[in-house]
Formats: sequence, C-alpha cells, structure tokens
Amino acid sequence: MFRHVQREPGVSVEQRFPAGPAVEVDALLAEITAEPEGGYLSVGDERVVQFLVKFARKLLAPATARRYPELASLGFFLRKGEIAKALSTLETSGDQLRFPRGVVFHVPPANVDTIFVYSWALSALAGNPNVVRISPRSQGAAQAVIEALNESLAEAHPAIAQTQRMITYGRDEAVTSALSAACDLRVIWGGDRSVAEVRKSALAPHARDLTFPDRASFAAVSVAGWEAATPEQRRDAAIGFYNDSYWFDQAACSSPRTLFWVGDDERAKPAREEFRTLLAEVVASKQFVVEPAMAVQKRVSAYGVAAEGHATEIRFEGNAVATLELVEAADVPREWLGVGTFPQATISDLAEFGRIVQRKDQTLSVFGFDRDEVMTFTRRLAGRGIDRVVPFGSALSFAAVWDGYDLLSEFSRITTVTV
Amino acid sequence: MTTTAESVFGLSQAEREAALLPVLTELTEHHRTGGEPYDRILSSLGIPRGASFDSVEQLPWLPVRMFKHHVLKSVPDDEVFKVLTSSGTTGAEVSRIYLDKEAAADQPRYLGKTLRTVLGDQRLPMLMVDTIGIIKNRRSFSARGAGVLGMANFGRKHVYALDENDRPDVEAIKGFLANHGNEPFLIFGFTFMVWQYLYEVAREHELDLSNGILIHSGGWKKLIDRAVDNAEFRRAFAADTGLTRIHNYYGMVEQLGTVFVEGPSGNSLYCPDFADVVIRDPETWREQPVGVPGVIEVVSTVPRSYPGHVLLTEDLGVVHGIDDGDWPGKRFSVLGRLPRAEARGCSDTFSGSPA
Repeated sequence: MFRHVQREPGVSVEQRFPAGPAVEVDALLAEITAEPEGGYLSVGDERVVQFLVKFARKLLAPATARRYPELASLGFFLRKGEIAKALSTLETSGDQLRFPRGVVFHVPPANVDTIFVYSWALSALAGNPNVVRISPRSQGAAQAVIEALNESLAEAHPAIAQTQRMITYGRDEAVTSALSAACDLRVIWGGDRSVAEVRKSALAPHARDLTFPDRASFAAVSVAGWEAATPEQRRDAAIGFYNDSYWFDQAACSSPRTLFWVGDDERAKPAREEFRTLLAEVVASKQFVVEPAMAVQKRVSAYGVAAEGHATEIRFEGNAVATLELVEAADVPREWLGVGTFPQATISDLAEFGRIVQRKDQTLSVFGFDRDEVMTFTRRLAGRGIDRVVPFGSALSFAAVWDGYDLLSEFSRITTVTV
Repeated sequence: MTTTAESVFGLSQAEREAALLPVLTELTEHHRTGGEPYDRILSSLGIPRGASFDSVEQLPWLPVRMFKHHVLKSVPDDEVFKVLTSSGTTGAEVSRIYLDKEAAADQPRYLGKTLRTVLGDQRLPMLMVDTIGIIKNRRSFSARGAGVLGMANFGRKHVYALDENDRPDVEAIKGFLANHGNEPFLIFGFTFMVWQYLYEVAREHELDLSNGILIHSGGWKKLIDRAVDNAEFRRAFAADTGLTRIHNYYGMVEQLGTVFVEGPSGNSLYCPDFADVVIRDPETWREQPVGVPGVIEVVSTVPRSYPGHVLLTEDLGVVHGIDDGDWPGKRFSVLGRLPRAEARGCSDTFSGSPA
C-alpha cells in the first residue's frame, strides 16, 4: 500500500489493529467495504468465529489473566460455547434472512480499558466491517488486548485484517465526521457528554446511533433474606459486593452506589452493621489502597451530600469504606462519589424503590430475595428504568443484552423474501 | 533580620495553639450558626453543637474543594459584599468565597500586617514582574490580576517588567534600576514568571538586584522541567544578580488574608501568629510527626464570613521543625499537589476536553 501524498492534514489515522502505517480515512473505508476473499462476511461467519476463539485463548493465558483479571472475563465471554449460544438467538426461518448491519463505527470510553472489545466482538460476530476508535490515552489492559488481537491475526483468514480495524486519532472532528458519515451504525460509549460531543457529527440518513450514556446503579439487600443467610453466604455477599463496587473505582455504570435495605427498620440495623464490618474485612483482605487524592474526593462528595441536607450521618472505616445515612430514599445521589462511598437507606419493600426509579437507572444488584419477588418488582416497573437485576457479584458481568438492547440483533438486519 | 515592632511572627507553638484553640472553637460555632450546610456537615460527622476540642489538630476540617461545589457562607445574603472567585488548576471549577464588609476590610489588613514583617513599614519603589494588562482588563479579571493588584498596595512608583504582549521589557527594568536600584526596592511576581522573565533577563543583561526584596508565590510545578527548586532559585538569584532577600509565600483564595511566608534564611515557610498548619497522614488523618510529609491543613482565625478557618488543602507538605528557625512556630515546605482523583468509569470518551 502506498503512503499517500498528504491531501488534507488530519484525515489520516494511526492503525493499531492490524498494526500498520497511518492510513487515510477514505482509503480505510474503501478497504473494509470491499468484498473480501471468500465473500462478504455473514452473521456468525466461521472466519470471525475462529479468530475470536483464538483471541479468547490468548486472553485466558495464565500470564495475561493474572495481570488483567478483566481480560479473563472477556476471554470467557468469547469461548466457543458462549459464542454458539449467543448466535443461536439470531436464527431466522421462513421468509426472514438475517444480514450484517453494515459499517459499524465504535467510539468507546477512554477510561474503561476493555468495554470496546465486547461491543466490537459482537459486531464482528454479526459480520460487520468495524472501525473502533481507541483512545490515544489507552494503556494497560487495552494495550494487552491490541497485542493479543495482532498476535491472533497470524493464523486468521485475511478477511479479518481487511474488515476489522482499530485506530487511534486525537480529538480530530474531521475524522469523527468522515467515519460518522460513512457508517451504518455508530456505537457511542462513555457518558452523556461524549454522546453529545460525538452527535455533533452527522450520520447518513439511514444510519443510527446506539448510545450508552451515563447510568446509575444500585444494590438492595432483603433484611429477611440476610437473617436467613448462613455466615458463609453473608461473607460471599460482601465479597461479591466488593467486586461489584471496587473493581472500577465504583465508577462503572453498573457498579452499585446506593445500598437499600429492604424490610423492617429495627431488624435492618444489626444486619447493616454486620455487612459493614464484613465489607471492611473484605476490603482489608484485598489490600485495596485508596490514594490520598481519592480519599479527599470521597470526603468532598460525602460532605457535599450532607451539606445539601440529604444525609444525616457519615461514617468512615479508614479511607476505604464510607457510608452515608440518607434522609429519604428519594434523595438518592446518582453521581459518582468516589470509590467505596455508599449512601444507605432502609425501605419497607421493593415497590418503594420502584417509585424512585428513573430511566437513567441501569443495574440493581440484589441479595436475599427470591426470584418471584424480583420478578413481581420488575414487572411492576414496566420498563421505566432498570435494565438488569443481578445477584451480588455479577454487576460487572457484561452480557450480549446491555442497557436494554439485544446487541447482536442491533448489529444485524433482517431482509424478508415473501415471493 | 530585623522585624518591626508589630511583627506577627512572635508566638511559640505552645503559645500559638493556646491562643488559637479558643478562637477557632468559637469560629466553628459561629460558622455553624451562620450557615446550615456547614452545620449539617459537622452534625453528620457526629460533632455536636457546642463541642469542645482538646487541640487544633482535633478541629474538624473542610476539604478546600468544597467551596467549588457548594455555597458555604456564614453571613446572610443581604450582607454579602463581595464574592471572590478563583479558578482551580483544572480551570473548570471555581471556588466562591463570600465576604461581608467587615471580612473584605479584614483581609488586606491581615495580609499587610504579615507582609510588613518582611517588607518593612515603608512603601518602597516596586518592580512588578507582570504586565500592566493583567490589571487593566477588568473583564477578564483573574486570580493573577487580583494577586498583582493586592500586592501593588505594598509599594509605590510601580514599574511593570513585561510589556502588554507578555514580553520582558528590558528597557523598563533598566530604567527602574537606574532610578531606584541604589536604595531598597520591592520585586513582586509569580514564581515561574519571576524566574522566566526576571532572572533570565537579569542574568543576560548583568543587572544588579542586590538592593531588592523579592516576594513571590505560585508554586514550583512549572519550574520542575527546568530543574529549578527553591534552593536553586535562591542560589541562582544570589550568584547571578546579587538578590538575596527572597521570600516565597503560600496562600490561597479560600483563606484570603492569610499567607505563610518564607523566613530570611530561606527554604522554610512560617505561620503568622493568627494561623497554623497541620500536616496530616492521608491514611489516618492524624497529624504527622516533624519530617514526615502529608496533606497540608491550613488554619486561620481570619475567615469569619465563610467557614474557611480550618481547611484541608490539596497540597503535600512537610514540617521541618518547631520553634527552631528564623521565627517561632512550625516551619514547613510545600512539596507539590495531590494528583487528581481519576476514576476508571464508563464516562468520558473524550476525557480531557473541558467540562
């Protein structure tokens, strides 16, 4: 491939996967949309499946998985059996034929290392040519992902390198605009501000956005369920809650922030104390370190909630665990307060939580409820908010249905033949 | 070093704490009465109204950033005379400090008392290491402009060392020295500007600054790239320009009127008698022993119109000694800023762009 004479500065991008020289956006788009050897990619294309399985194996290699546990989760997500299960939901019959959606442009967040891989992998599985913007600031796990992808390319079908691209460019509107104008679907992760920013670039009339804006998530413990749980179950609940909350500094959209105790107020008190003690023990045993700046941030946030009259009691267990007693459940703060900062309230039943749910609310992590209770609650919400209810410890587990979207279905299209 | 009769660097640490504790305790109560948000914070921390404290260290502190997100004031709305704002390092967040008439008058008075200890009682000819543009353009009046304007009061016959395009005005500096260089004169500027625009120019043109008294502030961050710290700053000025009377100072808009001033021998900041510092362990939040770095808390009896009397800064510092330096009390250094807390969240695809 020729390095072009620079036509207009700023419209070329750095290629991270496949690793290669800088390329102009127009040339890149022409390459990924050309028919590859062996034909256009199809939904569940064997060439893609093989590549993803190889890639997953590299992520699960002990050295990588030890260093970046989040990549092991990704590796599990992309195992052959999991892929087959996901694809089985796409089967069509009769008059319907499912095809890839088209060129998909992914704009992932700068500060979550791996979420872009999930959305790219599902889109690739659906057979789309993909362009993923990798932040120039990406490092650590994201870098490991790119290395694993490039290593997996050696034995892969050439169609992969031709149609799947991960690129880096600075804050260059010309590139975002060119890719936005050319894509059939644009996937924007990263919060309200990012969505608004990217949306300044117009899409083609037929194209649309799949957006993942700011969300808020919560946890709920059944007081009766806690009382009925064994000491081991209670300890596991604290460990699960720790993983859900502390892994991404409690800033992941699905990390619980406010913790609701559901049941009798008096009976909740000893349960809350015990949970607090268990959580502090787990945090200590994991040797979780809160940097001084973060410790200050937590106080700024917690004092702020109190200053506004929404919290009556702030308690710190070292720098790692802070709890705030909310004046009313409806006062729940939805913004990030710093890692290990948990507003709490006791409410009489899940329906009381249901009344404060907003569209913005995403995950409810629960402990001690039976499935029927959760189902009844969720049905009564009627889809007004809360996209997933998960057990403690699963808040961060990514799934092919996310924020209410069935992603594989979003990444594909259906053609009907009724002749 | 001679200090004037009304020096505010006179109290030993024990005398200081004995004098400050009752005033600060009363101020804590005063601010709780005057502002509900502050009272709510202390109540939520389990500190009852009328609480007494055994030491300055035990007084509850507010993180300085609270003033960027909340209205914290201890005077009714109709008594607010002036609202000071300052941009933080991020530029996006602004502290809002509410002053009534009395506080607005107190603040320069305390600053004056403190600085006269090093500047003397006479108003001397003054070389400002800045551009006159910084105070001319009222529309974009900045913290830098406020600093320049506040300091200008301490001198007379001001000459600005930079032209309106922020370039060193060598002729103006030479003219100032020709007129006033043979008698004591003042120099004021922000640390990095003093280095970049005065030191480098003075060295190149072999200017004699030996009769000058330099007062400067603003931190060392911009000079770290040039491997210039306080000791090198003092050494280079003395060796290349003859300037030896140099006083760095440390202060912030959230505690205006209170500045911590470098003593004559250099490399240590001292607290005026109405103020103190507590260096805190960021893990336990207890006071660190002498010699162990921690987060700087600044304490002052000046703020009466807003609860800024006990503030946890976002600076790191260390106490070098107590009652063993040029002046009594704690002597300390500022070591740098706490890094900003940044979360790995789902937010901010374009993190780094202004909010």
